[in-house]
Parts: sequence; C-alpha cells; structure tokens
Amino acid sequence: MMNEELYIKSRIGNKNPFCVPDGYFDSLTAEVMQKLPEQQPQKKGLILRLRPWMYAAACTVAILFTATLYFLAPDSVNQPQVAAVAPATTDSYVEDMADYVMADNIDIYACLASEY
Amino acid sequence: MTDDRLLIEQLTNPKTQRRAFETMVRQYSEQLYWQIRRFVLSHEDANDVLQNALIKAWQGIGSFHGDSKLLTWLSRIAINESLDFLRRQKNIVTLSTDDEDLSVANTLMADDYFDGDETEAQLQEAIASLPEVQRTVFLLRYYDDMKYSDISKALGTSEGALKASYHIAVKKISEFFKSHD
Repeated sequence: MMNEELYIKSRIGNKNPFCVPDGYFDSLTAEVMQKLPEQQPQKKGLILRLRPWMYAAACTVAILFTATLYFLAPDSVNQPQVAAVAPATTDSYVEDMADYVMADNIDIYACLASEY
Repeated sequence: MTDDRLLIEQLTNPKTQRRAFETMVRQYSEQLYWQIRRFVLSHEDANDVLQNALIKAWQGIGSFHGDSKLLTWLSRIAINESLDFLRRQKNIVTLSTDDEDLSVANTLMADDYFDGDETEAQLQEAIASLPEVQRTVFLLRYYDDMKYSDISKALGTSEGALKASYHIAVKKISEFFKSHD
C-alpha cells in the first residue's frame, strides 16, 4: 500500500459517513418492482428481419441493370474502331497507272485491242 | 450451480424473469446504493439514480449474457448513471468558488443524512474535485476494495490506466489534507 494511502486511512479510515432514512432498504425492493414496466418479449423489428432479403434484392437489381446496359448497347460500341478508307474510283486508278507506266492513249488502245 | 449462475439462468427465462429480477434487486441494491451515494452525495439523488439504474438493468436484461458477474454488470450501469447525473448537475448548477456556504463540505455538514465530521466532509470535497476517472477509481478501490480487473470491466478502461489514475488520486487527496492541516 502506498504511503499516501496509509496517510489517508490514518486520517479518516474508510468508515461510511453517510446514512439513510429508517427502513429505506426494507421498502426499496417493493418500490423498484412497482416501477418496472411489463417486459415485452424482445423480437426483431420487421426491417431487421427483412434486411438480408433486401441486400440480396439490391445485388440482383444491380447485376441485372449492368448486364442490360452491356447487352443492349449499339454494335458500334462493341466493334473495334478501324480507320475508314474511301475506295478509289476506277477512273482515277487508270490515270494513276497510265502515269506510272508512261503510257499514252495509243498504247492503251493497243493493249486493250490485243486482249480481245 | 452457484447462486449467480442460477439467477442468470432464471433471468434469461421469460417465465421466471420477473421473480429473478426481484431477487437480484434484494441481493444487490444496497451495495449499488452505496456505490452511487459516494458519487452523488445526497440520499435523494442516490435514490433516484439507483432506481433509474435498476430500471435500465431491467430493460437491458436481454443483453446480459453472463460473460461477467451480475454485480459487475449492475455496477457498470450504476456508475454510468451516476456519472451522467453528475454531468447534468454540472451543466445546471454553477457553484461560485468564492461562496463557501455552497461548498461540498458545508453542504454535507448541513445534510441530515451525513454523519461524518468536518474532516470527512473535507475528504468528500477533495474527492468531488477529482477528474471523473480518478474519482471513480478512487471511490471503487478505496471504499469497495474492488479489483482493478472488475473496475476495468465496469468502466471499459485498461487496468494500467486505472492503476495510474488511482495513484494520482491518492496523491492529490493526501496533499489536500496536508494543505488543510
């Protein structure tokens, strides 16, 4: 025990300086029991009982919503984007080739005639 | 089976609950009263706080699972009710430090239900001036000789913190007496 504790005990000990009215404790139990409310059986509220089902429903809705968004999206959304190239016209193709081989009109006619 | 265990079993059975609670009140109410009285000092206040604490215990009986002693569980409720009462009282009444008539010691000396002398009244004043945790651990340890492990369960504070608080409280009270000698 600490010295200070011994000092306090030597000054006042631990006797009880408080007192109560006569018969207080004799009537206390009856007084308390009279004030007690009737105990209702404790049961979970409706919300608490339904909570697991609510969580399951929320998850199902979330999954369905996400799946719906994914599958109903337009095709272009799902196709890889490829750069579009405009097809060259026939006339410009022939002209480019004629320039390349340095052929004039007479050569081209001769070429075409020989095929037939 | 010990008395406590039998009582706990009866408290958890709806058919025997009320009768078991009455037995519990008869068994522990006096001890709880004195714990409360040392906090709140006046008999009228102690009576009110005790009855509120027991009603709370009744309402919370379903939450008691027998993992601590009945008295430890009841003490926890009683101590918390006492501390709540003191906090509310502090908010309502502001005592002037200059007005000696309203000091704790003088109020006790004028109380019909206080049998102590002036030294004991001054001790109560010294205890009442302690911070909450120091006051609580001092009262439970010095007067009830409660184990630190039980106080720890009642307050939800570590044993180490309680020992330190008790040590400081004892020092302050002994200094209070020495300064008033």
